[in-house]
Amino acid sequence: MELIMEQFPIVVRALNVGFVQTLKLFFITLIGACPLGLVIAFGSMSRFGPLSFISKIFVWIIRGTPLMIQLLIIYYFPGLVLHKPIWGGGEGGRFLAASVSFIVNYACYFSEIYRGGIQGVPVGQEEAGLVLGMTRSQIFFKVTLLQMIKRVVPPMSNEIITLVKDTSLARIIALQEIIWAGQAFMKGSQGISGAIWPMFFTAVYYLICNGILTLLLGKLEKKLDYFQ
Amino acid sequence: MKKWIAILLTLMMTCSLAACGNSGSSEETGKEDVVKAENAGTESSDSEGESDKAYVQEKGTLVVGITDFEPMDYKDESGEWIGFDADMAKAFGESLGVEVEFVEIDWDNKIMELDSESIDCVWNGMTLTDEVLSAMECSGAYCNNGQIVVVPASEADKYQDEESLSDLNFAVESGSAGQKVAESMELNFTPVNKQSDALLEVASGTSDAAIIDSMMAAAMVGEGTSYADLTYTVTLNSEEYGVGFRKGSDLAEALNAFFAAAREDGSMMETAEKYNVQAMLSE
Repeated sequence: MELIMEQFPIVVRALNVGFVQTLKLFFITLIGACPLGLVIAFGSMSRFGPLSFISKIFVWIIRGTPLMIQLLIIYYFPGLVLHKPIWGGGEGGRFLAASVSFIVNYACYFSEIYRGGIQGVPVGQEEAGLVLGMTRSQIFFKVTLLQMIKRVVPPMSNEIITLVKDTSLARIIALQEIIWAGQAFMKGSQGISGAIWPMFFTAVYYLICNGILTLLLGKLEKKLDYFQ
Repeated sequence: MKKWIAILLTLMMTCSLAACGNSGSSEETGKEDVVKAENAGTESSDSEGESDKAYVQEKGTLVVGITDFEPMDYKDESGEWIGFDADMAKAFGESLGVEVEFVEIDWDNKIMELDSESIDCVWNGMTLTDEVLSAMECSGAYCNNGQIVVVPASEADKYQDEESLSDLNFAVESGSAGQKVAESMELNFTPVNKQSDALLEVASGTSDAAIIDSMMAAAMVGEGTSYADLTYTVTLNSEEYGVGFRKGSDLAEALNAFFAAAREDGSMMETAEKYNVQAMLSE
């Protein structure tokens, strides 16, 4: 116990650095994937056959393969196959490659949630809008969008909380997020070696982060309650 | 209008499929080129036929793949990478006239990191095993390492030769050189996840002894370490540390020349003494 107290400040400092990476990846993914998901959702709902076909195939491929493999392909493929290491070996390049993988992957999941939300709005509302002489984009932004947002909040909360934990997958391309930082103490880092507790301690960070997110998303859900 | 867009998209898809086919076949010819180049005994592996040394010098940085591994590569208080390997790498970079960038990698992916050109070399107390030698262009050995038996200090007298080890229960890192030694000597052993876990087993008494790297043992076992009650006795085999480059790279040759010069002028010994690894330097 005494040993842990001695190691605590060093470990917490290292875990904080790792957690900043985790949070950065989380927010960038969210900022990128939310709008991109909407674009893909429109693609797969398009009445124009080839576009919806391509979108659906794309969603199938991304949702049908593990994110870990996608990370490996996106990071290592350009250098291995094309001999153009576009990401570079440094930390920044690894982070960029991880961000791209996460944004694309999560956008596909989001797109299906959005599609459910949009198609869940009764078709009568759209017909009413058309009768009133509104354009399709007017109908979407003034009638459908807010109702869709209300409907997608619970399933999106689910995905967002999963995303916080999924960021740990980025360690496969040596992005030094919090679990990497915790594991480093097992084999030895900064004079601490063979310490197992830091890795388990990372769970506290995830729990607190997801606790805050759950509260915030719950509040958002309440705020959107006035629709029904 | 829609028909035209449809036709256009179909064309685009066909093209992209064809492109896939093309890149596949060019990759194959690329491989053939490499095979040819190797047969011809030339030193380049990439399709442009440019040397790896020229590639690194043009880029201006030598990206060194490492893990946090005291005393070879580790961070000082200000967060800079130091250690015997790190300091030698910096000096090597200077001799090439390039910056050295250290990147922490996942050790299991080291070959993929090299081949995808995200790093230029693996320089981290890497044991020259058959796997490493077949997948990388390696420098000559610069350090000797060995697998060594760790036992509680109170029992050390009893286990000073190989014959005395047969009735002990060992803990070894799964898949490590230590496990291979234990297998070849037909010792009783339990594979554990990490070398440090093997020490934990001995310290807690769940195993009688462990087999780990002698370098690791020197750093982690004995007085003044977290395992003051343990000590190391018999060295079971010897292995060598080398630096790995991409297959066919001419940088391995350049590094051998650099090492020879550093041995000659004593700068290698000086660096080794700084990190207390002078006993391990190879001739």
